[in-house]
Formats: sequence, C-alpha cells, structure tokens
Amino acid sequence: MLSFLDLLNKFGPMNESYKIISSSMLYWFSQKKWFIFSVLLAVFLLSLSTPVGLTLAGYHSLIILLMVFTLVTFEPIPFPAIALLTLVLQVLLGVAPPDVVAESFMNDAVLFVMGSLMFAIAIVHQGLDIRLAKIIIKIFGRSKRLFLAGLMTISAILSSFLGEHTIIAIMLPIGLSVIKNIDTKQTDGRNAVLLTLFSVAYGTIIGSIGTPSGGARNVIMINYLQEFSNINIDYWEWMKHAYPILIMQLIVAYFVLQFAFPTTLKNIQIKGYKKKISKSTTKDNINHLFSSIIILLIVISWFLFNEELGLGIIALCGALIFMICGMVSWEVINKNTNWGVILLFAATISLGFQINETGASSWLVIKFNALLALMPESSFNISWSFMAILTGLTANFFTSSATISLLGPMAIELQPSDVSFALSAAIASGFSFLTVISSPTAMIIYSTGLVSTKTFFKVGVLMFTSSIVILYLMSKFYWVTL
Amino acid sequence: MNILIAIGGKEYSKPTLDLGMKIANAFEATTTIAYVGKRISQFSEKDVSVVHQNLDNRELYRPGVRTLEWAYDFLESKKYIKKDKSIAFNDHLLIDEENSRMRVLLKGNHSNKIDLILRTGEIIDQLRSEVETSNHDITIIGGGGNKGMHHKLVQFIDSSVMVVKNYSVNKQYKILLPVNNSTGSNKAIQIAEKFAKSKKLPVEIITVLENKSSDKKLRTILKKTEQRFTTAGIKNTATILEGNPVETVVKYAKDDSLVMLGVSPKNPFLKYFFGSKPISIAQQCNCPVLIAK
Repeated sequence: MLSFLDLLNKFGPMNESYKIISSSMLYWFSQKKWFIFSVLLAVFLLSLSTPVGLTLAGYHSLIILLMVFTLVTFEPIPFPAIALLTLVLQVLLGVAPPDVVAESFMNDAVLFVMGSLMFAIAIVHQGLDIRLAKIIIKIFGRSKRLFLAGLMTISAILSSFLGEHTIIAIMLPIGLSVIKNIDTKQTDGRNAVLLTLFSVAYGTIIGSIGTPSGGARNVIMINYLQEFSNINIDYWEWMKHAYPILIMQLIVAYFVLQFAFPTTLKNIQIKGYKKKISKSTTKDNINHLFSSIIILLIVISWFLFNEELGLGIIALCGALIFMICGMVSWEVINKNTNWGVILLFAATISLGFQINETGASSWLVIKFNALLALMPESSFNISWSFMAILTGLTANFFTSSATISLLGPMAIELQPSDVSFALSAAIASGFSFLTVISSPTAMIIYSTGLVSTKTFFKVGVLMFTSSIVILYLMSKFYWVTL
Repeated sequence: MNILIAIGGKEYSKPTLDLGMKIANAFEATTTIAYVGKRISQFSEKDVSVVHQNLDNRELYRPGVRTLEWAYDFLESKKYIKKDKSIAFNDHLLIDEENSRMRVLLKGNHSNKIDLILRTGEIIDQLRSEVETSNHDITIIGGGGNKGMHHKLVQFIDSSVMVVKNYSVNKQYKILLPVNNSTGSNKAIQIAEKFAKSKKLPVEIITVLENKSSDKKLRTILKKTEQRFTTAGIKNTATILEGNPVETVVKYAKDDSLVMLGVSPKNPFLKYFFGSKPISIAQQCNCPVLIAK
C-alpha cells in the first residue's frame, strides 16, 4: 500500500502546474508563518474561557495585543495591514463599537506622529547638515576628540527637540564625511569609524528622551496620563524631569565609547571636510536662515502653546509653513513619509485606549501586584525596576513608540497617582541601545554596513545598564524634589 | 541566456564573481550582478531611504554601492568590461527603478551585457523577485550563508542555482557531472557541455546505482552522455558508482570539482520539509555545486 508521502511523490512530478502552485503556496507559507502562527494562537486563546476577573471585551483586547506584538516584531504582513487588522478585530471581537474605535483612532499623539514625520522630511530637505557642520567645527574643531564630543552633544540637543529620525538624517552625512577614506582593516581605523558613528547615534538616541517632541512615545505617554489619570505634563515639566538624565547619559556615553573603541583618531579628516564645505551660495544662506527661523518658531510654540494647541498641531504647522513657503513640495513629503507607521501608531493607540477602558490593564496590574506581594523586598522598587526594564527591553525588540502605546496604560495603572512610573516607562523605552531594530537611528547606523549587530549589542549592554541605573537614581532622589 | 550573480561583502565575493563571470562568458550571457543590502524594518524604511538620499546628495556612497564599485573594478581588471579612462565609477548613475531596486547605469558599449543592481531586503525575497523580473536562467551565490538559505534558494528561485563554496581563482577545476533520468539532469548535461567546451575543462560523468529497477536506465544515460561529450571533443571519464547517492557524490567530489547536477523531481512539499538529494549534496560538498532546473 502506498503511503501519503509516496502518493505525493507519484502525483507531484506529473503535473507542472501543480508544482508551480504548490511551490507558490509553500513560499507564501514560509513568508507568512508568523501571521499564521498569530492567527492560530488567537483562535486557540479565543476558544478558552475568559480568565476570572476579566471582562470578555478585556480578554479579547489582550488577545489582539498579543497578535499585534507578534506581527509587529516579525513583520510578516505590511504595517498598514496590521493597523487595519487591529481596528477590524476590535469591532469584530466586541472590544468596542465602531464609533468608539473610530474616535480613539485619531488624537493629538497621532497628529504629532504625522506632523513630526512630515516636519522632519521638510527639515532634512533643506540641507542644513553643511551649516551645522560649520558650526560644530567652529565650536569644537580644536581637537578631533572634542569634535566628536561636540557631534554627540549637538546631536543630543537637536534630537531632543526635533526627534531622532530628523537629526540622524542630518548628522550622519557629517559623520560619514570625516571618516570617508579611513581604512577599516586596521583596528585603529575601524575604531575611529565606529567611535564617530556611535557618537552620532548615541547622541541622537539619548537626546530623544529630553523633551516631549523628542519622540512620539513621549507624546503618547503625555496623552495617556491626561486621559487616564487626569495629570497634565507640559513641555517644560517634561524637560525638568528628563534633561538631567540626558546630560548624565551623555557623559556616561562619552566614556563608554572611548573605552569600547580606543583609537588615536589620526585618520579622521576634519580639515579636509572643513575646506570642502567652506563655500556656500547666497541662495543656500537664505534658505538656511528661513529654515532655522521656522524651526525656532515651532520649538518656541511647543514650549509656549503646547497645552492650548497640542504638540501634534504645532508639528503639523511646521510642515505646513515649509510647504506654503515652497521650501518643500508635497511630492517629496508624500514620497518620504511613512504612512504605514502613522496608521500603525493610530491603531495601537486606539487598542491601548480599549485595553484601559475594558479594564484589561487593571486586571494585569492586579495580577502583577499579587505576584509582588510574594516578594520580601519593597514592592515600589521591584515594580519600578520591573516596569522600567520591561519597557526598556520590549522597546529594543519592538520599537519604543509602539511599546508605550501598548504598555503605557499598564505603567500608569501600576501607580496612577505617581507620575514617576509613567515617565520612567516612557524614558526607559527610549534606551534603544541593544538592537538595531529598536529605533530609526540604530537601523540607519546599521544600514551603513559599517556597524554589526554584535558590536551594537556589546556596547549597548553597557549603555542600557548604566541608563537604567541613572533613571532609577534620578527618579528616586531628584524627581521627588521637583 | 541571463545570469544573476549575487555578491555580498568584498572579502568573500571575489570567487563567486570570478566563477560567475567565467560561466557568463562561456554562455555569452547577459549578466546581472546584484548586491542585496540589509533588510530594513518597516518602522525605519522611510527614514533610511531619506538618509540614503542625503548621502547621495553629499556624494557619499550609500551602503552597497562601494561593493558594486569594487565589483566594477574587478570586472575591469579581469577585462570583462572595456577599460574607458573617460568613465570612472563616480560618473555612473544610480537609477531608482522601484522601491527596493536600484541600477547603476553603466555608460559605454558594455552596458547591454552587464547590469549592476542594488537591492535591499530579505535575500531570498529579493533574489526571487530579481529572477522573476529579468528571467534569469542561472543564479550564482557564495556559499558563506547558512545551509537553510541554500535550501530555500533551490526551492523558491525559479532558475538553476549555483552555490560557490571553497572556490580558488587559480585552481584547475574539472566538472563532476552526476547523471540520472530526471529533466533537471538533462539541463545539467547541457550546461556542463557548454561550460566544459568553452573553458576546456575535463568532465567526470558519474551515475550512482541504488539497486533499483531504474539502474539499467541509468547505465544507458551514462553511456549516452559519455558519447555526447566525446563527440563534442570534451575530455571525459564515465564511472558507475554504487550506494547512497548523496554520500557517494559527496565522497567522490574533490576540492577541484565543479559539481553540476539536476534538480530533484520530487514533490515541492516533500522537498520543503525533508529536503532532496541535490540540496543535501550542495550543503555537504566542499566545492561549487550547480543545481540545474
């Protein structure tokens, strides 16, 4: 008697079209295996009875959360498809009625993501890197080591206001220009290249925690705090909490990088670069002046009018002014804006709201607190450490803004009246030092082909650990004084 | 004939490019040299694209272009493309053809024969797409990747696949041609004949008997192939071996062998889950292996 395998083999070679179809199907399955896994997992969980103390809608919202985590981590389907699936499932599984889902889909945090991405493209389009390079060389050009420290500091300061995706696009060409002809086969040369690239990358990553506009996750957390705990944190308030951490991280990063990449820096070519960029046209000068004025206006507006106008509307204004002035075309913005990410953030924020509304986040916190009760140590320290490390680590494998949009409600629920928990979660999620998928900066540095995932992780472990320690010390001893 | 040569880092791609170009020359084939850059997460793909545009504006080569420049210089040094002092690599244009595909526009009279392509994404996906777009007949790739990748290449890419492992530019090679009664084997015989004739390489034709009813047929095929190569004026030997085909071929292949064999006619589902003899041979041999489709 023929076995199933023999049967397959017998029929297989006979029909060419069958071969093509089965090959295509296999390819589809191999590419979409994580999608199939997440669907099967969801179906399995749906077939189980609802856990005690959790509403059916809450249970379903957690199942969708698990699906989103799997799909975003492994990317078997496009982000817009994940976003649409999240919305559709919320309605189909009875988590919320269509009107409620639609309402939670658009808020100031989503407008901020949209506005900041468009604003970033408009800024990068102005070619400000040459102007910035001149300024950095003028201030820090006395020595090569000082130049790199300056590159890191300026990256951090700018990124804290304009976001890391904007600043890495502007600063990377500067970094790559000074290391252009370095021979990376020699250890000294390789370390000089890595030191330069990491100085830009770490500056930009560290900077993004500094102000609400530094990263979408900060704005998402501010929105959640307002909605769930009725706590208002304005631009200045955030800076008071986060900027001292940023400064301490910069100092630590400087020494970590010097330790990780010892080099004489003799091959770094600042003078040659300075000569190359010395000429500029009047048109460029006028363009740069106008760009700087617009950027300054937007940053000042974030400081002064964030409560009245919302950070998102102000960011949109920035992109709008650039377009109205004809300094960037809609085609450029349309081509370079990641609409898929905007849709995904909107959908995950919507899901985050439903996780809170259905009581799922409270249920998770009750379970978590029950676990903590078994610990002999102070529950505050343990829950803080758990939450900060969890959000920090999750962000490294899942990206920071998506992490906060999904885990933010739980961080707030842990200590609804204590703002330090929510802020710590948002800030820790910005410690994207471990993996190259964690942030646009890390991915861009990795995409140069000059930095390996292994190197990124090895140095990142040091930075991540010290950053968590700094955050803990600041929240314990400095934030209480504010 | 269209040939696709996939290259990686400069250090590891020299043998792949050298052997690939020898095969392309033998077939007078149109050649595409493709570098597949690292896969970018969907979160960052637009940011990376903006940065790369910025690097272009500042005349800083984007990742991958340096590898293509190296490939261009290599081809020039080996006289696969004509040396033209008026054209340096810098002057060639990088044309964005679609989202993840860019082409270096080569000026001059070699442009119809050789394409330099830069792609980004998951390697199997990108090579599959490249083969589908340009109807390549043979895909040549270095053997540095993991075994699973070679399995997927053979399974999902709609062209013959050559895995270049442990190839030395200066070594004298001979073709090892295991034959059987499959359609793929016929294709392998055609490729081996043309390549051996063009490069004046000796061919070792073998067939492995497994004590099956098809053994007689295999002997006939071996005899016919031997006659075919002798008529074509190609130095050859014909040997009958016995045993497990994978173990026997792997044991018989030496460091100076270029193994050319046909794809398995097995059902695709079975191949995916349990592999196939040609895939196992390609994974276990320590020399270049071509699996013809």
